[in-house]
Amino acid sequence: MPDKKTKVLIVEDEEILLTALSEELKQEGFDVAGAKDGVEGVEKAASEKPDLILLDLVMPRLDGIGALRQMKANPETKDIPVVILTNLSDYDKVSDALSLGAMDYLVKANYRLEELVTKIKTVLERKHTGMPKLG
Amino acid sequence: MLKFEPNQLFFYLAIYTVIVIIFIWIENRRIRKSLLGKEHEMQRRMYEVTILKELGDRIGYSLNVQKIVDVITGSLRKLLDYSTVSYLILGDDGRVIFHCVLEEPVNNNFIEVVRKRMIEALQTLSGRGIKTEEIDESVSGTISDETNKSPIKSFFNVPVVINDQPMGLLNISSTKEGLYKEEEMTILFTIMNQASTAVSKLENLLNQEKGKLNSMVESMADGVIMVDTRNRLLVINPAAKQMLGITKSGASIFDVLDVLSSKMDLRTKIEESIKTDRLTVEEQLKIQNIILRVLISPVKDAINQPLGAVVLFHDITKEKAIEKMRDDFTSMMVHELRSPLTGIRSIANLLKEEKIKNEQKKYQEFIELIVSNSASMLDLVDDLLDVAKLEAGKFQIMRKPTNISDTIKVRVQSFSSLAAESSVQLETKIEGDLPVFELDENKISQVFNNLLSNAIKFTTKGRIVVSAFLLKKGGSLLKKTTSLGMIWPGIKDFSPEDNELVLAVTDTGIGIPEDQINKLFNKFTQLEQSALSEKKGTGLGLVITKGIIEAHGGRVGIFSQVGKGSTFYCLLPYEQK
Repeated sequence: MPDKKTKVLIVEDEEILLTALSEELKQEGFDVAGAKDGVEGVEKAASEKPDLILLDLVMPRLDGIGALRQMKANPETKDIPVVILTNLSDYDKVSDALSLGAMDYLVKANYRLEELVTKIKTVLERKHTGMPKLG
Repeated sequence: MLKFEPNQLFFYLAIYTVIVIIFIWIENRRIRKSLLGKEHEMQRRMYEVTILKELGDRIGYSLNVQKIVDVITGSLRKLLDYSTVSYLILGDDGRVIFHCVLEEPVNNNFIEVVRKRMIEALQTLSGRGIKTEEIDESVSGTISDETNKSPIKSFFNVPVVINDQPMGLLNISSTKEGLYKEEEMTILFTIMNQASTAVSKLENLLNQEKGKLNSMVESMADGVIMVDTRNRLLVINPAAKQMLGITKSGASIFDVLDVLSSKMDLRTKIEESIKTDRLTVEEQLKIQNIILRVLISPVKDAINQPLGAVVLFHDITKEKAIEKMRDDFTSMMVHELRSPLTGIRSIANLLKEEKIKNEQKKYQEFIELIVSNSASMLDLVDDLLDVAKLEAGKFQIMRKPTNISDTIKVRVQSFSSLAAESSVQLETKIEGDLPVFELDENKISQVFNNLLSNAIKFTTKGRIVVSAFLLKKGGSLLKKTTSLGMIWPGIKDFSPEDNELVLAVTDTGIGIPEDQINKLFNKFTQLEQSALSEKKGTGLGLVITKGIIEAHGGRVGIFSQVGKGSTFYCLLPYEQK
């Protein structure tokens, strides 16, 4: 377990899923913040400064793609790795999201907790061992 | 008494005999001549009949004048003596056909003179000029002989006339003198005339049939083109032109192939279809914004010889759009059911753990989540089942005498606390003395549930009025609502053709833009919208409401003004007792 807890922001409009994911990740030792739509997600990405964002695609007010665009446009949030939460039917949108800079995606239906945790860790490792920025 | 010497008697007898013989001989000759004449006449008749039968057999239903004239010239030898028989025919394509059959080896000059005379005669007959370069010339029969210097000594022309239009000439020429008399000319003229009459009748008949077929093909919604075995475009109807974006009038097969070039190899498909004698189908062909199904069918004549192919373009854009909507609906439905189910499973898993049982508040919260999520899933499943029943036509209503005023009061009562939460004033406006109606009360209650929950969802700090009143045949809706003291934002006045019971829910909510109104009754767009909305609910309520009212023989409608509010109304026809 790292000294400082890894903070994950979950942006998901389905209340029960948000609650379930939050609780599960808390139990796995993560620090968790939640947002129930894209607008709140963009705000919390800036205010909470999470290490990673789990982002749903189909949401009211501002959808996942819109939220991702805004996050990537903001210098404060553009380097936070994003994992897309998706349904089987959203594959078109997933490829849009990946081309906008999302690191990976997870199919929500029948997800397993271990899989989710592994995915979060892999993405974070990839980020840390990635090319150092010049500058 | 006369007395004859034996010698004298013999002499007289001999003279008498000679006279009788001469008489018999003369008579015999006369009879023979008459018989010969009759035989000749018979032969001529036979020939006429034979040639007409032959024409019938060999030409069939052909309208090809050249073919007909070929048949006549081919069998003319049996009837006439001649050196050459020739024809000059005005072709369909503007060309002129000259053909000369040599029965005797005449020289080229002979043929040249025949041709010249025929051109002059046809020009006079048809009134059109014929230029030498328009003429396709051919000679058959015996080879010409330049040493034979005999000129034309006798000749005659017979016109070929189809439907009163001079189409050509037939010419008989000979090196012998005085060969053709009225009789010969009459025979040929008769034959030509009969053939012409038959062809004219056939042509008229075919034109009539063709006219019917043409107007059918012209007015077809499907695009139709027909090509012959040499890939020439015979028919292209307006629908095909429109689908393929061809605007010019004299389109050729190349224009069609050009449009399709990057999408399908029509030429190969046509050839394949003709070769295999099978229908060939291209399931999906996208041209600009339309999707076409292309069917290529070989066409054969009465004796199974290939004539070409018919290509049919059927616009399936709408079907494809519906298919896509259906797919989207299915995946949307799966999403709507799967997300909460995944959540329920995860939460239930968490509840299994020991330590959660120590956190009383969280424990309670999780249980609540499971209850509310499974309840809303059940609602969705119910709604989906209702929609499925509606679509399958299996949605049944059970009418019984219903006091609509009571029904409304019960419904309004059940929504009062929800309305209060949103600071919404809930009122009723029920016309006095409403009769008892034959309705399915449960289903009508479901209608009010749907309309009221929608109205509350989209209204904050406003007013919702549930109304019920009668609108008599020919009465004005606007006058009626005004007389009841109601204002319906965006109302458009109308008079019903029957007596109607009007049930309505009017709110002072956000209103609906005009272009959105029709989408409200579409299950596809509704379910999609509900996934993107913060508001709870399946979005299928209005689809079901419409189904319930239509099952009662009524109809639903919406009046709305953005920012002012909306009225959802149902018209239920009733018979006055």
